[in-house]
Amino acid sequence: MAWDKETELKLRQVIKDSGVALLKENLVQGTWGNTAVRLDEDHMLVTPTGLDYISLTPEDMPVVQISDPSVWSDGKKPTSERKIHAAIMQARPEINATIHSHPLFCSIMASARIPLPVMSAEMEKLVGGECRVGAYGLPGTKKLKEGTVAAMQGRNACFMANHGVFCAGKDMDEAFEIIRIMEKSCYEYIKECTLKATGETTYSDELLFDYFVSQFDERGKKIKAGKKVDVAKVTDADNK
Amino acid sequence: MEKIVETILQYAQKLVAEGVTGENDMISMRSGLNYMYVTKAGVKLADLKEEDVIKLLIFKVDKEYFYHAEIYKEREDIHAICQCYPKWVMPVAKAGATIPAVLDDMAQIVGPSCKTAEDDIHSIIKTLKGRNSCLVKDSGCITSGRTLDEAYTCVLVLDKASRCFVASSVIGENKIINGFEARLMRFIYKTKYSKKNQQNLSQLEEGEKQQNTSAKEEGEV
Repeated sequence: MAWDKETELKLRQVIKDSGVALLKENLVQGTWGNTAVRLDEDHMLVTPTGLDYISLTPEDMPVVQISDPSVWSDGKKPTSERKIHAAIMQARPEINATIHSHPLFCSIMASARIPLPVMSAEMEKLVGGECRVGAYGLPGTKKLKEGTVAAMQGRNACFMANHGVFCAGKDMDEAFEIIRIMEKSCYEYIKECTLKATGETTYSDELLFDYFVSQFDERGKKIKAGKKVDVAKVTDADNK
Repeated sequence: MEKIVETILQYAQKLVAEGVTGENDMISMRSGLNYMYVTKAGVKLADLKEEDVIKLLIFKVDKEYFYHAEIYKEREDIHAICQCYPKWVMPVAKAGATIPAVLDDMAQIVGPSCKTAEDDIHSIIKTLKGRNSCLVKDSGCITSGRTLDEAYTCVLVLDKASRCFVASSVIGENKIINGFEARLMRFIYKTKYSKKNQQNLSQLEEGEKQQNTSAKEEGEV
């Protein structure tokens, strides 16, 4: 092990605090989502499975081997998504902190499997370009892990198809900034798309609801297809 | 305070904190075969107090509690119900649409789809057959479970799935998880969590047995 006890204690607290902060900012629900911080080249601390972020203690975080995530010690049973965190840390030595979660607006993009164009200079800086969508795979599968790693190439965030979002940073503060800008950018994108689809100039959730309801007949059958939004046009509008 | 009342108050607070409540939300838990504890009609979950959770005989209820009572009568496997009005569920219920498996947590926790029932008990019972949740036309959603935690989690998942489904109308169609994978996830989830839920249920039933011996056997306690 190439880390000292003081560093480990500090990083345990970092994970604990990040979980609470994610909850406070509504970027995670209940016990869902998970985070990791690197201890050294081959070890990371991750959140345990199925525990809520408030009652979780720094001592609960297990140490997981990055090269073989089935090996873990200390703390409680690690999250089943640890393979993805490990794969990103192994592929990207500059990455020291990762967050996987299912924030509400990121989940919308993930469910439509639509890449998010660069919505602001801040997003460009933090994410490194448009946010791609990883190939769909069942939870815990190699396909999901490899799809996520591929979509993260040259980026600090990606969507996991029909699942959520994955973010990575040089430290937890940066990873946190990235998930925050992702959720904000997804919201902005959906607002832009709603205005384009409806021809209105002011967004409200009710505007989107009315547009949605108009696509169905009285028996609940869809009579109009969803809009195929031209991503470039949305981005152009935003950049003007 | 009785444990079952404490549980209902705790989950009412959680639903409010998650922002998935509306005007006429109501939650309940089964107590033995013949009774249920339910939140008083007309009391907002945000304002709920101990005295607003009442015990009713499921065979003798006022119309406000009829849906809950009938579901408990029809489905002995159901031990808790949330009847909620989350903001993003409302347009789907208004459209009378079926939410497909847009997210894998929906496939696991709610099932491969969630249909909209007409706002009458026969349609609701029929739509809930083999399922734990449904939407109600021009209304909100009804979720159920072996525990209140299960019913509560279904509300959160349905709210998120509804967001995805509604927003898909402006960003492009949802890419739906294929039927086989959705059913597989549901099967694994049910198998994995059945033991855990069974444990929770046993603890709850043990608590109820103790309470029922001391509780008065009246329509309302």
